[in-house]
Order: sequence, then structure tokens, then C-alpha cells
Amino acid sequence: MSTLRLPAELTHRAADGIDRRARRWSLGLLAGTALVALVTAVIALLEPHVPVLSLGVLYIFAVLPIAVFWGLALAVAVSLASMLAFNFYFLPPTHTLTLQDSRNWFALGVFVVTSVVVSELAARSRRRAIESALLAEIASSLLGRGDVTTELDRIAAEAADALEVERVEIALTPGAPGYPLLADGRQVGTIRLVNPRRGGAAGRRRLLPALASLLGVAIDRQRLAAEALEAETLRRSDAVKTAVLRAVTHDLRSPLMAMLTSASALAQDELELAPEDRRELVWTILAETRRLSRLIDNLLDLSRLEAGAATPETDVWPVDELISQALDETDDPDNRIAVELPERPLGVRADPRQIERVLVNLFENALKYSPRGEPVHVQIGGTPRHVLVRVVDHGPGVAGAERERIFEPFRRGADGHGAGLGLAIARGFAEANGARVWAESRPGQGAAFVLELEGAPMADDE
Amino acid sequence: MTGARVLVVDDERQILRALQTSLRGAGYEVETAETAGHALAAAAMRPPEAVILDLVLPDGTGTDVVRELRTWSSAPVIVLSAVGDEREKVEALNAGADDYVTKPVGIDELIARLRAVLRRAGPSGEPVLHIGDLQLDLEKREVLVTGKPVHLTPHQFELLRLLALNEGKLLTHRTILQEVWGPGYGDASNLLHVHVSQLRRKIEPDPARPRYLITEPGAGYRLVAPNRR
Repeated sequence: MSTLRLPAELTHRAADGIDRRARRWSLGLLAGTALVALVTAVIALLEPHVPVLSLGVLYIFAVLPIAVFWGLALAVAVSLASMLAFNFYFLPPTHTLTLQDSRNWFALGVFVVTSVVVSELAARSRRRAIESALLAEIASSLLGRGDVTTELDRIAAEAADALEVERVEIALTPGAPGYPLLADGRQVGTIRLVNPRRGGAAGRRRLLPALASLLGVAIDRQRLAAEALEAETLRRSDAVKTAVLRAVTHDLRSPLMAMLTSASALAQDELELAPEDRRELVWTILAETRRLSRLIDNLLDLSRLEAGAATPETDVWPVDELISQALDETDDPDNRIAVELPERPLGVRADPRQIERVLVNLFENALKYSPRGEPVHVQIGGTPRHVLVRVVDHGPGVAGAERERIFEPFRRGADGHGAGLGLAIARGFAEANGARVWAESRPGQGAAFVLELEGAPMADDE
Repeated sequence: MTGARVLVVDDERQILRALQTSLRGAGYEVETAETAGHALAAAAMRPPEAVILDLVLPDGTGTDVVRELRTWSSAPVIVLSAVGDEREKVEALNAGADDYVTKPVGIDELIARLRAVLRRAGPSGEPVLHIGDLQLDLEKREVLVTGKPVHLTPHQFELLRLLALNEGKLLTHRTILQEVWGPGYGDASNLLHVHVSQLRRKIEPDPARPRYLITEPGAGYRLVAPNRR
């Protein structure tokens, strides 16, 4: 069962518009007055050269911008004001609102009607342009970006302006009241308009269905994307599981095989075994048991790390105590690991068992990749605040591209032995302890694995 | 020396049988029990001289058994713990268990621990203790490592003395701190850790690979004579 990762109830409000509206209207009045004055001045300049009656049409330049930006109501007011100004200043008798020639009343009436019609056409085309710009903007922000939910605030604010309402609430629960958001006939949410302004009804009728279907599609698309991601995650974790099983089965089976062969040889009475052969078989069983036991410890460690259950219990420890413990756990029969302890014990803050697992895995990794008989050097250094343990081998080194990848689980070295768990476990436990582990290598030289631990002061009575 | 009666408690029959066979082979008299209830009943019937006890039992924990046993018996108890039982293991030690081994365990190690806990505690009366190449003169407060004297601070000497008097036995952090530093120091475990590190630098041939002063992770320390491999 998959769920859409959206908050249960998301309500987005556009800011309150009353204040803004009042400011807008007074600005419109100011602009209208200024424009009428400007056109009047222009006509006054042109009057000596052109028949004055034909200049009346110039007031359309005052009315049009007002119609486009402030709407029809103000445009009508401005056209009436224009008519009165024209009459007052230019039509005889000037400086009165009366007219000598009564035919001029007709001309002024035609002017008002024309300007209102043109205004309405201009305002409508501008509204349509705003609406389609809004839809385009919303469409691109919904479909282009990843998460619809983060865009809802902005969309609600923009839609409130375009739809001429106080605010818009978009809810992603199908049950909420309002206009349904549909996707493939299923309801995926609602959009609700709060306090619609008068006069915007026609625009809302046009815009709302388009906006709703856009939102519906976007929300549905996000749900589908979430489902696809989940399916992909499942598929990948299945692939990982298969790889793990294959690697682990092989690594579990080979020690078991050796043990079974040896034990069954010892159990056969009719087999005539020399005492040293007998001893050899017994030692094989013992060695393979230990190997199996270590592998199981590693798998347990890894599963604990992956489950986030490896909570460290930190305390202050001398770093050499951690190293001794790790050496004790490391399979190093020939004592190839050479440790250079500092003069005085250095203190670190760590979970001793977990850091021991880090070190054991670094030691065993270094032993594995060092040629037989070559030593592995362990050096302790750093500062009192950051204690560094360097494990230096004489192996083939690690190429730059591999230096991070080798810390991934089930990644073996080029020769492919071991389950490829050690370094992943080392890094997992190091990070759980706030420590860091990384690889350093120069071409032609061995690798150095460095563990950086948090230093801590220690009691000392010498 | 051998012949002590040992009660082995584990709910896994294969392990029980393997332990029984091996311990008998080493000369011990072995009784077995598969549950906490059976273990306590068997112990009451014929008090054992030592108990080997699994921590996880079908009807309770090994810690409960230790606690119950300690109300009337002082027979040493060795706890069998698995990886991941660290907390439970420390609880069992605090409840009165004497030592622990981590499963899977080699029988040689188990027998060595059994011998150590069965050895009667208390001062041997000898003023000079010999452990491997270590020599402690308790009266003169002198320590020789392969014949050469080494200088120890008073706390380091007390620490070594306590461990040497209990050779082979696990001493918990708390026990050591209270014996060497005093009752108020039971929780100052990093004081102990740093002294152990310093002591190792003086008595161990290779301080990074201690062979005398052995750490028991999460539990404590023990002093042993190194086995020559």
C-alpha cells in the first residue's frame, strides 16, 4: 500500500486585500486626473492649428490606460471627466458647462459611449492575458518543480489576485468543502474561494475550472511519482538482498564444507589416519569455526548498523587499550601488525566495543592486502583533540576512484576474496561514534587507513 | 585436584552434551539442567562446587539464577554469554557471578576459567608471587620483570598486587576501583583504564599485545601467566 506523502490538511491563505484595494483605487483616481489634465494641455497646445472638435478623440488616451489597469468603473468616470473638461475648456462658450451648439452634446455622447466600449474591450483582453499568464505560470511551477506542496502557498496568493477574491484555500483532502480538484475522475483535493469580490464572477467562471484541473493533474502526478519511487526503492533493495544472499551463502558454505569434510574424516573408523593428519583435521575444524563465527559477528554488526540499533556507549579510554583489544580479536598468528605506542597513553571518547570492531576490520583488511610476510604498521598521532590511528599496509594501494567506494557493503577488492563487509562495518561504527575513517594511497605505495577519534583528557598520576 | 562437581545449565542440548563430555574428560563430575527452575532445584538437591550457566534460559535469565543462588551458596559461577548480551553479562557479574566466557568458546579456555574460580581465594602466605616472568615481593613492594626491577607508582603497585593475588580471576572494574582507590571511586573507570595502560608499558614485553594483564571487555581485568604458544 503506498501513500501520497502530503500533509493531511494543507490550507493556504492569500494575504488580506482590503488595504491594498483602497490604495489601488486612490492611485487610479490620481492617475485618471493626471491623464485628463495632460490630454487637456496637449489639446490646448494644438488648438490654434487644428479644428478643436476633432481633438476631443484624444481623451481616449486618458481613458484607455485607466480601463486596462483599473477596470471599467474608473474608465467610465474618467471618460465623463474628459467630456466635461473638453466642454469646459474648448467648446464655446468656454469656461462654462453649457454648449452653444446643441449638436456638440451628441458628439460628446458618442465620445463617452465609444470610450466605454473600447475600454471594456481593452480591459477584457488584459484580464484574459493576466488569466492565461497566471495559468501558464502555475502550470510551469506545478509541472516543472518537484514538490507541489511547496508551491501551493505562492499559487494560492497569485490565484487570489486573478480570481478577485480575498483569499484562496487549497486543501489536499478530498472531503473538504469547495470546488473539487479532479484527476482521472477521482477527487484529490479542493479549492475554496473566500470572500469573492463583486464583478469578478465572469473571470472566476473562466479561470477556476482551468486552475482546478491543473492542480488536480499536478497533485496526481506527484502521487504517481511517489509510487514510482517507492517501487524503485523496493526493486533496488531486492537486488541488494539477492547480492547479499549470494555473497553470504558462499562465505558461509566454504567454512562449513571444510568442517564437514574434516569431521567426517575423523568420524570414519575404517579410515587410517596418522596422528599428525588427525591433528591437522582437528585444527582445520577449529580454524574454520572461528572464521564462521567472525563472519556471523560481522553480519550481526552490519544488520545492527543498518537498523540504526548501534547506539554507542561512550566513555574515555586510552587509545592503546582499544588497539590492544582489537589486536586480540584480529586473526594475526604471525604478529605482522607492528604497533608504535606513544610514550603516554592518549585518551579518546568512544564506545570501546564499536571502535574495536572498526580497528579489527581495518587490521584484517590491511593484513589481507599486504603481501605475505610484509608487516602492517599502526601509528598513533594527531592532536589532543583529534587522535589519529593510521593503519599502513604494503599492498597494491587504492586507486583514487575506489577510495570511497571500498567503504560500501559487499564491495570486494580486485581479487574478490572476503564478503566485502569489513570496511563498511568500520565506517558504520566510526560514524556512529562521531569518528571518521578514510583511505589514503599514493600510486606504487600501499594504502593507509586513517581513523580519527575525538580526543579526551585522562586522569594521570605520574 | 580435579573431581569437583560442576552444574552445567544450558537449554541447547547439543551444547550441554558437548560440555558434559569435555568436562568429564577433564575429570569433573558433571550434572546438567536445561531451565532456570531445574538448575535451582538441582543445586538445592546436591550443592555443586561450581556452576556454568547460560545467560538466556527458557524460563528466566541466568542473572536471576545467580541472584537466587547467591542467597545461600558461594559456589563460583561462570556465565556463558553470546555476542550482544554485554549488558546482561555485566548484570550477572554484578549479581555475583565470578566470571564469564563468550560463546562460542573453546573447551580449553572454559577449563582454565573453571580451574581459576575453583582455586581457593585468599592470600597464599607467600610474600613473593611468581606469575610468568613477573615477580612481586609484597613485603618489600618490589616488582621484577624478567629479573630486572621496575618502578611502579603506589597505585600501580596496589593494582598489580590485587590482580596478582587473584591470578586468573576476573576482577570487575568496580571491585578493583574500590579495593585500590577506595569506596568513593567505584565509577571512575577511566582512572583505572589509564593506570592499566601505564602499568602495561612497564610489565608487558609488548604493551600493545598484553599477555599478562588481560582486558575483559565491558567487565574488568585479569592477570594471567602467559601461555607460551
